[in-house]
Amino acid sequence: MREPHHERRLFWYLGRRRRTVEAEIDEELALHLDMRARELIERGLPPEEARREARRQFGDLEGTRRYCRQEDERKERRMQRWLVLDDVVQDLRMSLRGLRRAPLITAVVIATVGLGIGATTVAFAAIHATLLRPLPYAAPERLVRIYTDAPPNRFPFSVADYLALEAQQTRFERIAGYAGRTMSFSDGVVAERLRGRVVTATYFSLLGIRPMLGRDFTESDGRPGTGPAVIVSHGFWRQRLSARADVIGESIRLDGTPHTVVGVLPPGVGPLEQGQDFFVAAQWEPPRRKGPFFIGVLGRLRRLEDRAAAADELRLLNRRLFPVWQASYQDDKASWGMKDLKAHVVGDVETMSGLALASVALVWLIACANASNLLVARATSRRRELAVRAALGASRARVTRFLLAESSLLAFGSALVGIVLAFVGIGVLRRIGSGYVPRVEELGLGGAVWWCLGGLTAASTLLFGLVPSLQGSGTPVDETLRSLGRSSTASLAVRRLRRALVATQFAIATPLLVVAALLLASLHALGQVSLGFDTRNLLTASVELPRSQYAEPGRVAAFWDEMQRRVEALPGVTGVAFADGRPPEDVDNFNNFELEAFPTAAGHSQPVTPWISVTPEYFGLLGLRLVDGRLFDAHDGRGPNLESVIVDRAWARRFFPGGSAVGKRMHEGGCSTCPWVTVIGVVSEVKYAGLDKPDQGTVYTPMLARGAASPLEAATSRFRYVVVRTSADPLSRAPSVRQIVRDLDPTLPLSSVATLDDLVARSLQSPRSLSMLVGGFAAVALVLSIVGIYGVMAYYVQQHSKDISIRMALGGRAGDVLRLVLGQGLRVVAYGVAVGLVAALFLARLMASLLFEVSAHDGPTFLAVAMVLLGAAAAACFLPARRAIGLPPAVLLRSE
Amino acid sequence: MALPALPLVQGTLDLLVLRTLAAGPRHGYGIASVVHDLTAGDLSIEDAALYQALHRLDRQGLVAAEWRPSENNRRARYYTLTPAGRRRLKEETAAWRRYSRAVEAVLEGR
Repeated sequence: MREPHHERRLFWYLGRRRRTVEAEIDEELALHLDMRARELIERGLPPEEARREARRQFGDLEGTRRYCRQEDERKERRMQRWLVLDDVVQDLRMSLRGLRRAPLITAVVIATVGLGIGATTVAFAAIHATLLRPLPYAAPERLVRIYTDAPPNRFPFSVADYLALEAQQTRFERIAGYAGRTMSFSDGVVAERLRGRVVTATYFSLLGIRPMLGRDFTESDGRPGTGPAVIVSHGFWRQRLSARADVIGESIRLDGTPHTVVGVLPPGVGPLEQGQDFFVAAQWEPPRRKGPFFIGVLGRLRRLEDRAAAADELRLLNRRLFPVWQASYQDDKASWGMKDLKAHVVGDVETMSGLALASVALVWLIACANASNLLVARATSRRRELAVRAALGASRARVTRFLLAESSLLAFGSALVGIVLAFVGIGVLRRIGSGYVPRVEELGLGGAVWWCLGGLTAASTLLFGLVPSLQGSGTPVDETLRSLGRSSTASLAVRRLRRALVATQFAIATPLLVVAALLLASLHALGQVSLGFDTRNLLTASVELPRSQYAEPGRVAAFWDEMQRRVEALPGVTGVAFADGRPPEDVDNFNNFELEAFPTAAGHSQPVTPWISVTPEYFGLLGLRLVDGRLFDAHDGRGPNLESVIVDRAWARRFFPGGSAVGKRMHEGGCSTCPWVTVIGVVSEVKYAGLDKPDQGTVYTPMLARGAASPLEAATSRFRYVVVRTSADPLSRAPSVRQIVRDLDPTLPLSSVATLDDLVARSLQSPRSLSMLVGGFAAVALVLSIVGIYGVMAYYVQQHSKDISIRMALGGRAGDVLRLVLGQGLRVVAYGVAVGLVAALFLARLMASLLFEVSAHDGPTFLAVAMVLLGAAAAACFLPARRAIGLPPAVLLRSE
Repeated sequence: MALPALPLVQGTLDLLVLRTLAAGPRHGYGIASVVHDLTAGDLSIEDAALYQALHRLDRQGLVAAEWRPSENNRRARYYTLTPAGRRRLKEETAAWRRYSRAVEAVLEGR
């Protein structure tokens, strides 16, 4: 009903413009004067006089004409504006109706482009939050992280390093040090382990953070001998100190020692403070040896231009410091270096997030290409409608606008889907993404993200709106109308356009599939990695004894002894051992050492491997096989010259590939004056540094249950993982173990409870999520490309059905037709896939760091992807080809 | 014509035109005649002012104009009351009645 009305208004409007406003007014007024004159004549006036009298009675004729013209023109202008708006509304309404008649196309376009927009926005938001936005600190561009650079490793500073740097540096306005520290906090009822930091007094002022309550640390807080001071996080203050304003000056017990609360941080501080409950003022005594190395160092440059000078100064200071500690530290290749704090915080997520953004953006592009393709098909089937419109006087711009209205509607729908997806996605990422994305707490739908969303929507409209409309309105009207009967020749351009679009889809889908396949192959390889023992029915958890209450070595030993005895006695427990690290990626101590047989040459780094301290039961409990030598006995690890260690097979093979490692000696920790450490046995290997890392060997040191502790053990024995082998579900034993610890000491929490199977699964979570994400998008891309080629070939067959049926009627073979159609389709696909494979070579090289035991240019993977794409495309072409062969010729010929 | 025709009170012309059109579509001359007949010539309405009012009301959307053959088969511009015009007429009529009652009341001295 609306359409004819609309057309009528259009013509009326056009007609009205042609006759001028002025002429109409003149006609109206002339009629009035005539009628008045006729009336006067009827009353008896002579015609000449009657006309004059009529003019006189009328009044100001010229003024009226002027006034009326002015009014009419004002009205005209407004009506024009309304008509344009009205046209737009009409266009939209008609498009909506048209789309409702094609629900499948509409749903496919909105869902896929919406997915593309939403996912791209989420990926952009993540990258914006992590990589693009400056750190939320004062003048963050002048902040650097300082470290010891010993390629390929970067080490934290030691107290000796830090104090020397603090005393001698000139290029930094300030430096600050921090070290991670977990402490137990008990409110009298429940004890829990909390994460926190030991920080120098300069830490907060360097970052530009002012406590919300109380004060910042002062220099005196850092002086040894002063009562320990703590600044707590906003979260800690709210949850555990009930957000009281008067907590300043109060004392809380951390690891059993009273600490004075001097400040409370504001909410939402920076990424370095994220997840930390408290900050204790560091009190560092001048050291007697160079190590240990545990201090993260921050520096604030005086001026941004000082960067190079500051880096030079760091190297110089390190050279000056080196001779001082030569007795306890030999790695003279190591130097001091620095990098942007942001680069440090963000870490190596660039590749991963770049890949995620690339894959979702590609899906968005492919979705747009697909939408474009579907809409070109739609516009083609509506050629008659559009041509009629053009013939009735609608301009080319007008037709383009009508087609754009349809794509705007689709883009609008897609944007709605995209916004919802982005909203949900960002919410999900904020909740679970902390493992993958640093600074996840800063993630949100901020200004830049809205711009991205708006830009994507606009670009979508243009991408899948402009292409079909240019094509739809490009051909001259009469030609279109004339060619309606024999559409196969006139639509050559359309076919070319659609083929180009489909080839583009395949060119985009190919690299996505290659990347997904590489990631999946890599994930599969990771899943195949053997940890080296039976991970089933193993429960682990950690306990740390606070130094203040367990200063006595005897007390420490007694606690562990009693805990072992009680856990062993639990029903369903077949063995208990202690260790200070746990597979697959938890090492407390990476240690350097120098072999007696192969002294490290000057200028080279000493080898570094995980050093795991274990109780003698550990090997039997895990089921590690003894390959050579012997296991620990009750005497190992005691006395000055009886330092014995066990190494694993990977270690033995790495350093003594020809012979036995047993009996070989070394100095550990770069300490050349320390007693020799002797290898007494070799066991089968276990991965401690991550499943995806090469196995460089592990050294086991004895962890004593009682008696005199070795120097190394003294540092670590207060923290232990307990490893429990059970006969049934390991998690069901966890409450009993927890109860045992509580019975032994009510202030001690049992932390990081997990089965070994859980730990393995957790270590694979990040690569698995990425593979699933990219794989999912690759699947969408594949489906869209298949839809694309199917649509094009179905159209091709429809256009050529006459030729085909004539051929068949003249005795052509079905095989020839099949070959023709398949050949047409596969040629298009082959172009796309070929371009895509080249693109994949580049993309894969960029993501090589994410792959495990799979080459970025893995031939079989590339080949398999190409085969899958061509195979799927062949299947998609086969269906229309079959239909073409099956058509009865007579029917077709008659239908034309 | 014993008494000279009265000049029109400001603003009442629009009301008269709207009221006239309430009975049905008319062209400008028709409106002028109806007003003249109904007031028996007591109100002097200049034709110029009438046409200006018609075009103003048209621009305001209170009346709609359309070309139609007139009674003696010439093309004439006929005016019709739009729904908005009908609403305006009601309001203006009520306002005028209140106004004239008030003036009347004062003059009667009640």
